[in-house]
Amino acid sequence: MLCEKCHKNTATTHIKTVINGVVTEKNLCGFCAAAEGYSQFANNSFASMLASMFGNELATGTIKETRCSCCGTAFSDIAETGKMGCSECYATFKDRLLPYLRRLHGTTEHTGKRLNSVGAGLVAVSEESKIEQLRTQLLEAIKAEEFEKAAVLRDEIKSLEEGEQK
Amino acid sequence: MSQWYKELGAEGDVTVSTRVRIARNIKGLPFPSRINKEQLKAVNDEVKNALDCAVSEGFEKLNVIDMNSISDEEACAMVERHIISPDFAANRKDKILIISSDESVSIMVCEEDHIRIQVIKSGLALDEAYATADRIDDILSNHITFAYDDQFGYLTQCPTNLGTGLRASLMLHLPIIEGNGALASIAETVSKFGLTIRGMYGEGTKSSASLYQLSNQITLGISEKNALENLQSIAMQIIAKEREDRALANKILLEDSVMRAYGTLKYQLILSSEEFMQHISKIKLGCALGVIDIDPTLPTKLLVECQPYMLQKTYGIMTPDDRDICRAKLVREQLE
Ligand SMILES: [Zn+2]
Ligand SMILES: [Zn+2]
Repeated sequence: MLCEKCHKNTATTHIKTVINGVVTEKNLCGFCAAAEGYSQFANNSFASMLASMFGNELATGTIKETRCSCCGTAFSDIAETGKMGCSECYATFKDRLLPYLRRLHGTTEHTGKRLNSVGAGLVAVSEESKIEQLRTQLLEAIKAEEFEKAAVLRDEIKSLEEGEQK
Repeated sequence: MSQWYKELGAEGDVTVSTRVRIARNIKGLPFPSRINKEQLKAVNDEVKNALDCAVSEGFEKLNVIDMNSISDEEACAMVERHIISPDFAANRKDKILIISSDESVSIMVCEEDHIRIQVIKSGLALDEAYATADRIDDILSNHITFAYDDQFGYLTQCPTNLGTGLRASLMLHLPIIEGNGALASIAETVSKFGLTIRGMYGEGTKSSASLYQLSNQITLGISEKNALENLQSIAMQIIAKEREDRALANKILLEDSVMRAYGTLKYQLILSSEEFMQHISKIKLGCALGVIDIDPTLPTKLLVECQPYMLQKTYGIMTPDDRDICRAKLVREQLE
């Protein structure tokens, strides 16, 4: 299938949109898709997740607009685009972001490489959380193809994560 | 060392390539979507200076490419070689790309994040690719203050990359799993382990050359080590499954389809991109199974070199019809 915009390249990006129940489909090559703003790497699930939760409230104006003092971005902008304006936005909108981060990543605590700890990337961080330990065990269970054990561990991680949310 | 697509790496019968990407941002500047021209220049300069310092400390010199000097055709050919993203190609004005001479290391400056370090290798080489990316991250962090938070880790424009900023992906060739209709269930299974699998040339469940990209989704609350191990262990199981299914497939039917593709590619004068993709997948499979005796690096090499803009890079700008004739000729010659 050829790209419907340039009619030159193979269409590699197929975009389905549903507006008021009407499905429209677009078939574009990577270049035209990017030019039209559909990124191959973009993950719009976060934006749509936010929009679905806040859409009504934003539309009716029940959320008062706080703006990031650093870059001027409002939470509604973030909800619309899935993009933060600057690194300070994380602090500004922290409380509102936490539930979404939990849904995206299952947790809200970074456990990877720390800044200014050169070479720490592949060394275990000093304080591994309980969840991280369980995740390690889970991986070992998967590697050993012990899927029943893996399922138990997964449930345990899940319940811990849910506990964290309360 | 040559480019990733000219070599056959580890687990090369099923694994085409490994890509590791680390996202970083500079503290005190808005993210790329909200950056102005002066700030963009400041980011470019800061990255260039950091790398200059690194060179004086003994780090290999990387090339700086001014993206304003790159034509549309050239930018698209870079996308086809997986050095830059389509996004970066489309929005490259006033931006720079840092790249190693073998193109295995590329740093996109002000793509979705200020800094995107990418390392690409042939075959399955997650540890090696990550080690290189991690080293470049260390070097840059010696000279640049990154946006970082004790709770959230490395701060990225999209919260989907928050934490480690690490996205590791493997390009897998899965013709038999795909043919057996098992991809949907694999996609469901890998999602439970925080991974996604999707078609490389063609979105969703179908890929025109049976090439799929398996990558990690979760970047927060998982260490780099665990994310990579997780990806590796799931990948090894998918690879084992593909091999098992290849061994169990109806031998004569499989060989017949390989030979037909081989015959078609050897004897044709006009070759569209779509037709090429279908047949090259069979050639790759036939080569892996020893059904046809050709240089094992050839299928992936052709896969990249027969993409529209790569053809034009080699043979000059031409019409789509001429391109199909040119592709046909290149493939015929290479399969001789
Ligand atoms: Zn196009
Ligand atoms: Zn901000």
